[in-house]
Amino acid sequence: MVSIESAATPGTSSLPAARVRRIIKEDKDIFACGSDSLFLISRATEYFIDSLVRESYEFSRLDKRKTVQYKDMAKAVQSIEQYDFLTDIIPPTVSLKKNTN
Amino acid sequence: MSDYEGGPANDDDLSLPRATVYKLIAEMLPDDVACAKDTRDLLLDCCNEFIHLIASESNEICEKEAKKTIAAEHVLAALRELGFEKYVGEVEEAYGEHRQQQTKDRGRKSTKLNRLGLSEEELLRSQEFLFAQARMRFQNQAAQGAPDGGGGSGGGSA
Repeated sequence: MVSIESAATPGTSSLPAARVRRIIKEDKDIFACGSDSLFLISRATEYFIDSLVRESYEFSRLDKRKTVQYKDMAKAVQSIEQYDFLTDIIPPTVSLKKNTN
Repeated sequence: MSDYEGGPANDDDLSLPRATVYKLIAEMLPDDVACAKDTRDLLLDCCNEFIHLIASESNEICEKEAKKTIAAEHVLAALRELGFEKYVGEVEEAYGEHRQQQTKDRGRKSTKLNRLGLSEEELLRSQEFLFAQARMRFQNQAAQGAPDGGGGSGGGSA
């Protein structure tokens, strides 16, 4: 995996810490998150973006397109087990033929 | 609203800043490849889900250790647990750099005094001494009569 050059300074994240913290805090079960952990979660998210974008792009390439489209990302989510948690927000596009009754 | 960060006013709309994520996407794709707008927005939602997922799993691991604050090792364990081991190596590396940065910032503040090699007591004594000297100088000036009565520092109060 390509390593991400994050911001100008090493050991920083491109994602704003305060915003990431607010997103985390939406979970009422979470009591507190250390700033180191916050940093790790930010970085992990950057790697997640990197992976998902590249994997989606693979499907665009297979289709000989230069634009990554919704269906490419849907296929990427369907095909990778670790992305199962995303199936609710990316319902796979169902072919109309299947629904004829 | 006094939200200086400029984030969404309503917490329900909370997500990562669009511009930042769009820029990351562009950096990750080849120059001649674009990403459709609805796809970029979808990615934003996916990021939210991912953050919630990792945070939640980290929290569970944290609670199992009877701790209340999510620590770095909880996050790393969560990543492994959720099948994201491939991120762990690079995240750990970034963590190392992060801590180096922090030590550098902290170090800059303390080395000047540390280098003198004086104990706190000695530092206090020398500070008192310097104050006493300054006081004497001031009193001498006053005794000689300061020129125009306005030469010293200290702004006049209206």
